[in-house]
Amino acid sequence: MIRDFFELVGRYAIFMKKVFQRPRKWRIFIKQCFVQADSLVLGSVPLVALISIFIGAVLVIQTANNLQNPLIPKMYVGYMTRESLALEFCSTMICLILAGKIGSNISSEIGTMRITEQIDAMEMMGVNSANYLVLPKIISATVLNPLLMLMSYCLGLIGGYLIVTMTGIIQVADYLTGLRYWFEPFYIYYSMIKTAVFSFLITSIASFYGYYANGGSLGVGRSSTKAIVVASASILIFNLVLTQLLL
Amino acid sequence: MIEVKHLSKSFSGKQVLFDINAKYEAGQCSLVIGRSGSGKTVVLKSIVGLFEPDEGEVWYDDVLFNRLGEKPKRELHRSIGMLFQGSALFDFATALENVMFPLDFFTDMSRSEKTDRAHFCLKRVGLENVDGKFPSELSGGMQKRVGIARAIALNPKYLFCDEPNSGLDPHTSVMIDKLIQEITREYNITTIVNTHDMNSVMEIGDKVVYIQEGHKLWEGSSKDILDSDCAALNEFVFSSNLARKVKNIK
Repeated sequence: MIRDFFELVGRYAIFMKKVFQRPRKWRIFIKQCFVQADSLVLGSVPLVALISIFIGAVLVIQTANNLQNPLIPKMYVGYMTRESLALEFCSTMICLILAGKIGSNISSEIGTMRITEQIDAMEMMGVNSANYLVLPKIISATVLNPLLMLMSYCLGLIGGYLIVTMTGIIQVADYLTGLRYWFEPFYIYYSMIKTAVFSFLITSIASFYGYYANGGSLGVGRSSTKAIVVASASILIFNLVLTQLLL
Repeated sequence: MIEVKHLSKSFSGKQVLFDINAKYEAGQCSLVIGRSGSGKTVVLKSIVGLFEPDEGEVWYDDVLFNRLGEKPKRELHRSIGMLFQGSALFDFATALENVMFPLDFFTDMSRSEKTDRAHFCLKRVGLENVDGKFPSELSGGMQKRVGIARAIALNPKYLFCDEPNSGLDPHTSVMIDKLIQEITREYNITTIVNTHDMNSVMEIGDKVVYIQEGHKLWEGSSKDILDSDCAALNEFVFSSNLARKVKNIK
């Protein structure tokens, strides 16, 4: 099992070496980056927006219910919602969700290309298929997903604001004061760094499993499942490592 | 010219090719024939570098292909065109974009020059008015022809076709065969075709190599097949009643 693990890591490293090569034509590469940004990042905006608004609202309700003590100022509801969103939800939770959405998309797309010999056809033309297919996905997701995280953060706070105004669970002024209280900008950078790393993991791992898919449509399904499981586990491990390193 | 010397290949400890030797000349359609699972595709993919042979040498003219590094191998791939069994057209691209794909990567042509070249290739394979159609909108025969057009877009020196007739009706099969033969002669290409279609063998087989269970058992021209005394080849070629009748008449 240990041997299998190191063999897998070795294959992944070799795959990454093939991916991270200078693109043959920058024009094609940049065009592909835009195509992938549209498909992977912009395509995820509605899902991320919906989840963020609702989670922001739920966080406010849960925090308010747990801070019933009259000695604790109500503004802490806003403060804790903000910190929860910035520290964990907008990076880790959103990326775990994206691991499912983007990961299965990438893995099944590349896996299907593998089993229908489209990747072989590219290699036969002399095109570095890994570089052409995978690098734009990694670059666009790694660069743009942190912006998606920022959007998620803002929408989470708005979700909290909406539930406060609609239910009156706490005073709006308390919520807004909490949002501004003891703001630590580094937490935003920390969350953006985590999102960038997780996005790299999601796209590279999903591409890796898709690229080496075999065994027909069942094989594509298997590789897709493996990609999501491994990407999610990697996110959790790297979350711990990055938190230890950065905070 | 392509020459294969002592080619052997195994997968997970199971040997599937045993000491294959063959020479394929330019301007000729060379056919690799054999039953399903005999190792034809492994031979073809080992020659083009999609499989790494365990032993043996693959020579493209005076270049020892299977000892080349990744970059020179990629350079040489640009002079190879390949038609895959399932056509392997890119789902994300239209017919025109599929043919333009290698031109986009490896030429400095302007957009209009590339479009002209792609139109020329599509016209050469008898396809017009399919520019904007995606592979899923094309019939099997049309997909094969777009595959051939893409394969010849960069004027290859070598052309490989893996089961070009599989899944096609007899009429379209003959048309694809003729197309491959014409292109081979017209551009003096070294062409290797994998097939188990006996019509193809008789129509375009300038040279035929018979493989069974990974061993090369016979080599000759399509005309020699009818007079061959190789029992395994005869069993393969004359497996149908019709073929046996033809042999008896002869």
